[in-house]
Amino acid sequence: MEWGDSNTRVWRGKGASVARAVLHTGFHELDNHLPGGGWPLGAIIEIFVDGYGVGELALLMPALKALTSVDPTKPKKWVAWVAPPFVPYAPALRQHGVNIDRLLMVHPSRSDASRLWAIEQIVRSGSSAGVLAWVAAADDVMLRRLQLAAEDQACWTLLFRPVSARQQRSPAALRLKLSRNEAATRIEIIKCRGGRPGVVDVGLDPKFGESMMEASC
Amino acid sequence: MPRVVHSLDLFASESIEASKIERHPVRGRPQLWIGLCLPNLSLDCIAAARQPGPAVVAEVLQGQHYVIASNREARDAGIEPGIKLRTATTLAASLQVFEREPQRECASLESLASWAQRFTSIVSVEPCEGLLLEVAGSLKLFGGLDAIKTELRQELVRRTHAFRLCAAPTATAALWLARAGCADVASWPELAGSLGALPLRVTSWPEAAQALLRDIGVKTIGDCARLPRDGFARRVGNAYLRELDRAFGREVELKAEFAAPESWSTKVELFEDSVDSALFLEVVEQMLDELTAELRGRQAQIRSFEIAFEHLRRPPTVEKFELLEPVHERERLLSLIKDRIERSVLPVPAIALCFRSGVLLPLTLKDTDLFEKQPLEELVRVLLERLRERFGQAAVYGLRAVEEHRPERAWAKWAGLEGRLRKQERSERQGRPLWLLPSPVPLSSVEVRRASLKLTSGPERIESGWWDECDVGRDYYTAKNAHGQKLWVFRDHRTRSWYLHGLFG
Repeated sequence: MEWGDSNTRVWRGKGASVARAVLHTGFHELDNHLPGGGWPLGAIIEIFVDGYGVGELALLMPALKALTSVDPTKPKKWVAWVAPPFVPYAPALRQHGVNIDRLLMVHPSRSDASRLWAIEQIVRSGSSAGVLAWVAAADDVMLRRLQLAAEDQACWTLLFRPVSARQQRSPAALRLKLSRNEAATRIEIIKCRGGRPGVVDVGLDPKFGESMMEASC
Repeated sequence: MPRVVHSLDLFASESIEASKIERHPVRGRPQLWIGLCLPNLSLDCIAAARQPGPAVVAEVLQGQHYVIASNREARDAGIEPGIKLRTATTLAASLQVFEREPQRECASLESLASWAQRFTSIVSVEPCEGLLLEVAGSLKLFGGLDAIKTELRQELVRRTHAFRLCAAPTATAALWLARAGCADVASWPELAGSLGALPLRVTSWPEAAQALLRDIGVKTIGDCARLPRDGFARRVGNAYLRELDRAFGREVELKAEFAAPESWSTKVELFEDSVDSALFLEVVEQMLDELTAELRGRQAQIRSFEIAFEHLRRPPTVEKFELLEPVHERERLLSLIKDRIERSVLPVPAIALCFRSGVLLPLTLKDTDLFEKQPLEELVRVLLERLRERFGQAAVYGLRAVEEHRPERAWAKWAGLEGRLRKQERSERQGRPLWLLPSPVPLSSVEVRRASLKLTSGPERIESGWWDECDVGRDYYTAKNAHGQKLWVFRDHRTRSWYLHGLFG
């Protein structure tokens, strides 16, 4: 896993060079759909999920592994989790190859305003390579502020939001809706700056779906 | 008689320089005091008195109203401080009479004192009258006494104070000479002459003591100094003798040093109620001008502040600002406030704006290297500090994996984030979910109906913990519900009931 560069897949307009930093998602089907071939860095990404447990974290694991990997040539930056709904389970994260030493858990008070404040502080501080945050309501102005901060620091900024928030106008570079489709996770690309909307099915867990059996109780 | 100098100092004496300052005969150190008198302070502090027309401030002394300050128009009509108010009203028909506002007088002196601390750390407030500044050590830096006096004058004119300034080797002498409006005195022999010619009224001795002295034919300070010391002490009072000694430098003076308040605040009253953010910004800009001047003078910076919008008959609306790092630049503060003011909507019109800073912190200037950025450790430290300050210590932590069979104990919070990274314990277990519920939830009470649950793999038996009374006996399964969520559930051996323990996120 390495940091992607802007490659031939990016359409550069007419002579305008668009150099975008990306972080490979680790899933070819998804990389092919995203401009630059990966998660955009320095922009906010919105992920809409209604129920957890549809593979929303598994989708991020290769990128998280890359971001937290020990590389003496790069500064050791944090990946912050702001207001995760459950406990990010350390043994499972390690199973996915994530270096949990570099993860920072932040639990702001319940209000979305304080969560957004925390995200902005984390992104602006320049000490974090990425932020995963769970936020319900966020107004346009606040999202714009976050977008600017993320641009400044080239921070991988992910906001998990309820599906109802997808109607809202947003400066996010990438907006995805996740749902489970049989054994795969269905990724609906709602908006993609420099790319086009579409639907991608990603098999996140090959073992899942095998050996179905009825609950014996 | 000493030469009388106008406040604009038309007869500027030759500049006094550091090398000319002589040592105090008792204290043994060179010293030079600037006495600053604001004879009209009580009137200067009353905004309403700035309108044209004769105006005075009156005070009750022994059951009679006396004029204690008068403006130019009143003085032109012959109303000098010290005359009875009844006389004054006969001299000017349209005389406006105000009462003193001691709190404002105090506040404006303190504000001036804190401003004057840019010249010297030794600033002493003479209550209701003026300031004393010891500047012997500052002459070289500021380019002589005249340079300091010029800056003082400019500031006093800006603050619309009437004033008298005078420098002398002792504080008491500087104050007395300033009261009389005399020229600067630098040398000790000169001091005795200048002081000697001052009339008795420049002292603030009680009228009884002054009357006693007048009755025995003593008119000046010099006359006092020539009286036999023991007689003077016995008949007039020892305290006054000692004050004379201090003025002539025969005794060490102790002056209380002014300590600037730890924070800074100001208040601007609006001419009319308003919800107009453009007007607020204008006011804030004025406040920031004052603040940054103060910060520059005190070599300080601030990290937190608040702006309170005061309403009529309602508690004020307070906007609090907490900054990532201490700031002293006007533009940075302004952009922060601008953001907030433009976004927030006041419930009702404001009648006044208050600016209250947090504690003033000493200014630390950073080395600004063109190429090198701030070290990452520092950024992390600042971030953690900030997050913990707002959300509490327990709200910010790292993760640790623990070698343990019971799933809820296989992870732990790790609070010492700043410290060295500790070695993580190995724990390689397959098939664990990325989300763990803080505690297992009985399945019947979850949205997920058991009937719609399909077990997809398992069981994995976990039996452990009999030794610490938290023993578990569980069969774990991976399951899938109708919404497509992948769950981690278990069946308790003892109760035979099902629990949800994690989600495969």
